[in-house]
Amino acid sequence: MMLTASQFMFYFFALAIVIFSILTVTSQRILRAATYLLFVLISTAGIYFLLNYQFLAAVQITLYAGGIVVLIIFSILLTSHVGVKFDMVGWKKRLATGIAVAIGAILVITTILQYQFEASTEAARAVEMRWIGLSLLSYEKEGFVLPFEVISILLLASMIGAIIIARKEEKNESNN
Amino acid sequence: MQLENFLLMRHELLLLLLALLVLVFEIFTDDGKIHKIIPWITGLFVLVTFAGFLPQTEGVLFGGMFRITGMQIMMKNILNVGVAIILLQSAVWLKKPENSGKISEYYILLLSTLIGMNFMISSGDFLMFYLGLELATIPMAVLAAFDRYRNNSAEAGIKLILSSALSSGILLFGLSMLYGMTGSIYFDAINANINQSPLMALSLIFFFAGMGFKISLVPFHLWTADVYEGAPVSVTSYLSVVSKGAAVFIFSIILFTVFDKLSGYWINMVYALAILTMTVGNLFAIRQKNMKRFLAFSSIAQAGFILLGILNASEFGMTTIMYFVLVYIFSNLGAFGVVSAISYFTGKENMDDYDSLYKNNPKLSLLLTISLFSLAGIPPFAGFFGKFFLFMSAASQGYYWLVFIAVLNATISLYYYLLPVKAMFINKSETPLPVIKSDVYTRIALILCAVGIFGVGFYSPVYEWIYQLVLQFGI
Repeated sequence: MMLTASQFMFYFFALAIVIFSILTVTSQRILRAATYLLFVLISTAGIYFLLNYQFLAAVQITLYAGGIVVLIIFSILLTSHVGVKFDMVGWKKRLATGIAVAIGAILVITTILQYQFEASTEAARAVEMRWIGLSLLSYEKEGFVLPFEVISILLLASMIGAIIIARKEEKNESNN
Repeated sequence: MQLENFLLMRHELLLLLLALLVLVFEIFTDDGKIHKIIPWITGLFVLVTFAGFLPQTEGVLFGGMFRITGMQIMMKNILNVGVAIILLQSAVWLKKPENSGKISEYYILLLSTLIGMNFMISSGDFLMFYLGLELATIPMAVLAAFDRYRNNSAEAGIKLILSSALSSGILLFGLSMLYGMTGSIYFDAINANINQSPLMALSLIFFFAGMGFKISLVPFHLWTADVYEGAPVSVTSYLSVVSKGAAVFIFSIILFTVFDKLSGYWINMVYALAILTMTVGNLFAIRQKNMKRFLAFSSIAQAGFILLGILNASEFGMTTIMYFVLVYIFSNLGAFGVVSAISYFTGKENMDDYDSLYKNNPKLSLLLTISLFSLAGIPPFAGFFGKFFLFMSAASQGYYWLVFIAVLNATISLYYYLLPVKAMFINKSETPLPVIKSDVYTRIALILCAVGIFGVGFYSPVYEWIYQLVLQFGI
């Protein structure tokens, strides 16, 4: 059976996601883990492109690959010693984790494969920017203005929290 | 959409206004004078709590993303009462010199988590539910790490954020399966399209596990004790009472209204976890010597009792849950209030330090005794009625063995709730704690708890009122 180009691309990206995800969590150097994570995120963007969902793909690249990974790398460089190599955990723990993960993965994958998903009756269409903008600010059904506003409260609270955590405490350092 | 429709979001908007007021006050005030905000914000919050009880129409906003009914208003009011007491209790701690630079931040973070809980309770779809949950969790981790110069407070923050990130991941995976199968995030659409496939059961399990972390049910409870011990006492009481109460409310709403057709699956899960949670929580509580850890494990055991109410997916079950949470707020905050007063004034947190507490501090000892009796479920106090109704609601569904195990557990819990009482009244100590002169805020808070412990139990219209509201909601 010949693969079509888009099928080939799908398997290519999917394989990249799986391999780099595993490398992210098993790498002993933190900066490498962050870099592997970057490849995972870019491959995910590739899958969005395959689905013809350019907007989400662009968001994925600019926000996640561009913004968040850079943020992660910055915070690694600012806080820890990049050269530090994490110790490997003992083989007993690795075995136990491996078995648990394998059981969980088999369970989830077989259950998902068993399910007969219904194909959507709507015809595939490119998602217009105009439509995304309208639904983001709509207060009718399928409109997302309320979550949009609530996220702003979440961001404000998180920023204040981050300042609290990161701020130097002048008075106490002299006392202690 | 009419502008006056926004009044349906009164609780959330008032809290947001309060948080923004604090922010503005912070900007325009000198660093040394920020402590002046404490009486203002506490007073304003009490006003907001009263305003919550004003009559309000029911309705749906934002195309079903925000639903408000009498029952949900009542839930928010119950949480507000708890937070009002916590704000009163935390005033003395905030005035300490090491907190002088972050008083207003404490209020902003606390209020934003409360806004998150309110949105979560009112959510009509899984997106708002999830956002509310995150808004209630992320600032909470900062609150847990508030005393960050103490190592175990920082540890509490990082443990809370890591475990909640993991549980959010599991929860979201379950929700994404649900979306894949039903094609919607709205509760009513999902409920209409629910099927009995294994994948649906798996998504229910993931949702259940994610919420289990938040409510700290066994076996998802491992973060609880360390976080409760490390966090400042006010934050611990907030986590164990208000945060847990909000999670229980939305958990039961979703199980009863979205997953009602899958009750064959989740009834068994609730049944097993109820037994596990009660028993493990109790067995660990017996061994604790630190009062905060002690109350942490006791709150795990109490969550197990709440599950008995979830087993009865009817108006009766929902009412018993709400009533129990209301009672639990007063009893647990009474206990935490005494523990925090003693901790702030003497720095002592171990049970041994409570030996002969009665000698110098009879009122505090008496209040702690009442609260612990109420938590244990000893008759004249409200806790008895709370537990009694929960047992009744499970028994009315025929779960006699479970009720039997629950009664056994209540008996075990009686033993360890009596340990501090014995320490205070019977154990002899050469150096009992000195006379603790608590401030006005703490006194008001403790009196409120005492009134609640007696009042909610004896004044039966409270229960009737909740029952009527739940009937109108319809389950």
